[in-house]
Amino acid sequence: MSDLPVRDEYGFYEIRLESIGGLGANLAGKILAEAGILNLGFNGSSFSSYGSEKRGSPVKAFIRFCDSDCEVRINSPVTEPHLIAVFQENLKQILPVLMGMNDKTRVVVNTARTAPAARDFLEMPGGTLYCVDALKISREEKVKLNTTILGAVCRASGFLAKEALEQAISDTLGKKYAWLVPANLKAFNRGFEEVEILEVPDDGKYPFQPFRESPPRWGYGNAPIGGTITEIASTLRNDLSASREGLLPFFIRDNCTDCTLCESTCPDYCYVWREVEKDGRKTMVNTGINYQYCKGCLRCVDICPSQAIEARNESEVDTKKLSRVSIW
Amino acid sequence: MTEVITENKQVTVVKSGNEMAAVAAKQINYHVMGFYPITPSTQIAETVDEMKANGEHDIKMIPGDGEHGAAGICYGAATGGGRVFNATSANGLLYSLEQLPVQSGTRFPMVLNVVTRSFSGPLDIKGDHSDLMTTLNMGWIILLAKDPQRGYDMNIIAVKIGEQEKVRLPVIVSSDGFFTSHQKRRVQYFENKETVQGFIGPFKAGNHALDAAHPVTIGPYMNEPDLINNKKQLSLAMAAAYEALPGIFEEYGKLSGRKYSMVETFELEDAEAALFILNSSFDTAKEAVIRLRKEGKKVGLLAANVLRPWPYHELISACKNLRALCVADRQDSFSGQGGNMTLELKATLQDDPQNRTRVFSRIYGLGGKDFYVGDAVALLNEALEVAVSGRVKNRYDYLGASSGDLNYQAESMLEPIPQAKSGLPENFNLVKDETTGITKVKGVNLRELTGMPKRVVSGHRACPGCGIFPNLNLFLKGISGNVVVLFQTGCAMVVTTGFPLTSFRVTYIHNLFQNGAATLSGLVEMFQEKKRRGEIPVDDDFTFIMVTGDGGQDIGMGPTIGTALRNHKMIILEYDNGGYMNTGYQMSFTTPFAAKTTTSHIGPAQHGKNFFHKDTAQIIAATNIPYVCTVAECNPLDYVKKAAKAQKYSSERGLVYVKAISACPLNWGDNPRLERRVIQAGVDCCFFPLYEVEEGITNITYDPEKLKKKTPVGDWLKMMGRTRHLIEPEYAQELEMFQDEVDRRWERLKARHEHSLL
Repeated sequence: MSDLPVRDEYGFYEIRLESIGGLGANLAGKILAEAGILNLGFNGSSFSSYGSEKRGSPVKAFIRFCDSDCEVRINSPVTEPHLIAVFQENLKQILPVLMGMNDKTRVVVNTARTAPAARDFLEMPGGTLYCVDALKISREEKVKLNTTILGAVCRASGFLAKEALEQAISDTLGKKYAWLVPANLKAFNRGFEEVEILEVPDDGKYPFQPFRESPPRWGYGNAPIGGTITEIASTLRNDLSASREGLLPFFIRDNCTDCTLCESTCPDYCYVWREVEKDGRKTMVNTGINYQYCKGCLRCVDICPSQAIEARNESEVDTKKLSRVSIW
Repeated sequence: MTEVITENKQVTVVKSGNEMAAVAAKQINYHVMGFYPITPSTQIAETVDEMKANGEHDIKMIPGDGEHGAAGICYGAATGGGRVFNATSANGLLYSLEQLPVQSGTRFPMVLNVVTRSFSGPLDIKGDHSDLMTTLNMGWIILLAKDPQRGYDMNIIAVKIGEQEKVRLPVIVSSDGFFTSHQKRRVQYFENKETVQGFIGPFKAGNHALDAAHPVTIGPYMNEPDLINNKKQLSLAMAAAYEALPGIFEEYGKLSGRKYSMVETFELEDAEAALFILNSSFDTAKEAVIRLRKEGKKVGLLAANVLRPWPYHELISACKNLRALCVADRQDSFSGQGGNMTLELKATLQDDPQNRTRVFSRIYGLGGKDFYVGDAVALLNEALEVAVSGRVKNRYDYLGASSGDLNYQAESMLEPIPQAKSGLPENFNLVKDETTGITKVKGVNLRELTGMPKRVVSGHRACPGCGIFPNLNLFLKGISGNVVVLFQTGCAMVVTTGFPLTSFRVTYIHNLFQNGAATLSGLVEMFQEKKRRGEIPVDDDFTFIMVTGDGGQDIGMGPTIGTALRNHKMIILEYDNGGYMNTGYQMSFTTPFAAKTTTSHIGPAQHGKNFFHKDTAQIIAATNIPYVCTVAECNPLDYVKKAAKAQKYSSERGLVYVKAISACPLNWGDNPRLERRVIQAGVDCCFFPLYEVEEGITNITYDPEKLKKKTPVGDWLKMMGRTRHLIEPEYAQELEMFQDEVDRRWERLKARHEHSLL
């Protein structure tokens, strides 16, 4: 019989998954809850932060465990998690993914970095870090990221029995996708084994960030009435690089014929065109990609008739240096 | 029967409120479910449909053309004397609202799950009680389900109470959107559906429409002096429900071990101050009471599990010794000094001459704003202050609203598009060939057009590979000058305008997705009228464009037809991705035949969508508007030319309808990078032929047959996860039917192309 290693004032052990839509965090939350409740005898709950539910948009999943006879009453999000799993490390650049953690919190992160480098990338103040290259493992096993990360979460939890999660993965996937079970179990086990663990020293290098709801800049005192937005084109402020799942298009100017097919297919309007003089005539030329908005769909790679756009691993491309600024 | 009931074993699972409502529906085995998807209640229909595909029940599932239609389907089914089920939320509920008193006033029981959500506008998909509280006066019984377990239990109890001989009223079961509907908890249900069936008993029809031996008139015309008597009967039925409910709760408690009551309390007996709060927040607030009790503070909680019939005596009794009561309403009756629960509690307690409870109101959690233990602590502490002082200092206020950063200066990222840059190149022209009746567009150069400023900009939150944005880009390249766009609810609207940001560099309006066409007609006519009165300079001009998905054109077909028949000078651009993608891919009327969606699952008992795709372009062409065309991103030049023609016709003649096929990698189940090929295949197999109907003359603009590129529909269907099963041998018959239908429509289109009079 498993026992919870630690409980908050309401009797809960709490987990928060930080992800983007499409990586399977919601399903991972469900699998965790089923493993804990049905297979290990805890009581608990699992839910997600719902928004417009688009692939690539930030999403959180929350899991709570308590003793079997404890009532689950709280319906609000997990604010001070005992365990955090970051499915997409670039989220750190747009969201405080470690908010609410303390020096006992265990953090799982999907990263190709070494643990010390990941600690610095995440600006992790303390606690214990579990790094797993879930993208690599899941690609090799041809499965979604979530089961690999679940392996690392299982390891980091220290109390969720491996067998219970394996059972929950088999039960969940087995209903509709029985043929995917062996590969997912293998990915789960690799996620469990292939973690690099770092006890992060509480050295004051990065501050702990307590949970707080950030009040909106626009409120009832200053927002234009009726919800009207008066600042045009303001989504240009968004950085969508966290929507990419590992691959991105790489533009090779020398091969480009300025045929405009990429421009006609790009859903995120990332291709930057400039007017130049060519043979005494003004014409438009393609100067490359604005990576701030590129979500890595690779439509342009497939459509390019002249091999001017290739798919590359994000880690091999210096997106900051190569990114073009759009002219609106 | 008793033998079966004694075998009432229960199984433990981890499921959400929506899933448990669906489990109950399956076990009840309703005759008919009429529905229309709307977040966050959609999952109920989806789950019931999935069970149907697996052969787990016999419920006839009917997707409405909108919630109003769904409510009509339910009413019609109920008049047939059988069990009927539906689920909705927010504006879906409001759209069907007029049907609610019809159902109750003519006394046909059914069960409607209201999964609560804030009603628009501005559009918010999260949970509050603004929708639910509009039903208080509809004559329906209202049961609340504060957690997933009750999502199951109350759905079973609902059938039993609604069908009581002396009651015969429709019943709403209401749970909190997302908080309960999507939260997975440890829950139990009866292993055998016979246990449920035994509890609710067989359906006993009253007067109904399917008894040939006893014809009846249902829903007569009824003025004074009779209507008041009909309502008195309804009021008596509600009183009978009030009498019957405690016994039914008792009976269900014996069966399940879960006994409910009209009113629920927590630590209330010796409490001096209390909080009245409904549904999921009640549980969260319990933790606050526990915390404050530890500090020696005498606080408690109170909630109603039944809103109609109103638990009048129970509430009076519960508040007997209370000195202060904070009523937390998750909606507001603006300026009524509280939400509806505040008003009803105040009115109720007024009747008790002994009562000395001071009541005050707090509006909280609107639009799904989270309710934390700390919020409940704050409300209870305020109630304690009132209890001590005996005075209410602040009787009505909002909890959790923020004034904003008053020093914040808004800054636009861009200036409006300069008029000089907003047009097609100078050498561009449109010439009508008088012999064919077809206008030729010349001088469109796609490379040159890359320099045209975009009216919709980057930074939107659409999924990677989304087809909507290539469609908007290509279409707007063909449009010159000032533009006002109206987007109906859908993915394009949601991903571009998440407050406080917008992707629009031109004026944009949203309206709910049955009404965009009518709304934009109003704006067009206001423009014309202001111009006529000299209130707008004569030279000012706009092109008015409504953008909608195919879902919006299911629920909004009526207003679209009305707009077409009135022939307003505007454009409707439909991006057709063949499904309700914004809510997670439920089938739309344009979904391909036999495709799997979340409301047309495939399985042993069901083969996906069971009717052919809607031919929207032909429906609209039949209204005789000046210009109708279909476009696809795989033919970019053709696309831009048609957009230019669309602008010309909309400014000179009237309504233009443009229909684009639009990829949805997430729900089509294909690789986003290959979408252009998938679109090309959809066009080449003639599922989505490219043509135009210009002043009644049909012109095919891309003929794959002549180019020897026409492919079997299977070549397209096999590219997408949603239709890949159609090339399996067991779907051979469906595939053949599909091919025949596509070919038949294509042949008819060719005939129209050949003959200008067709």
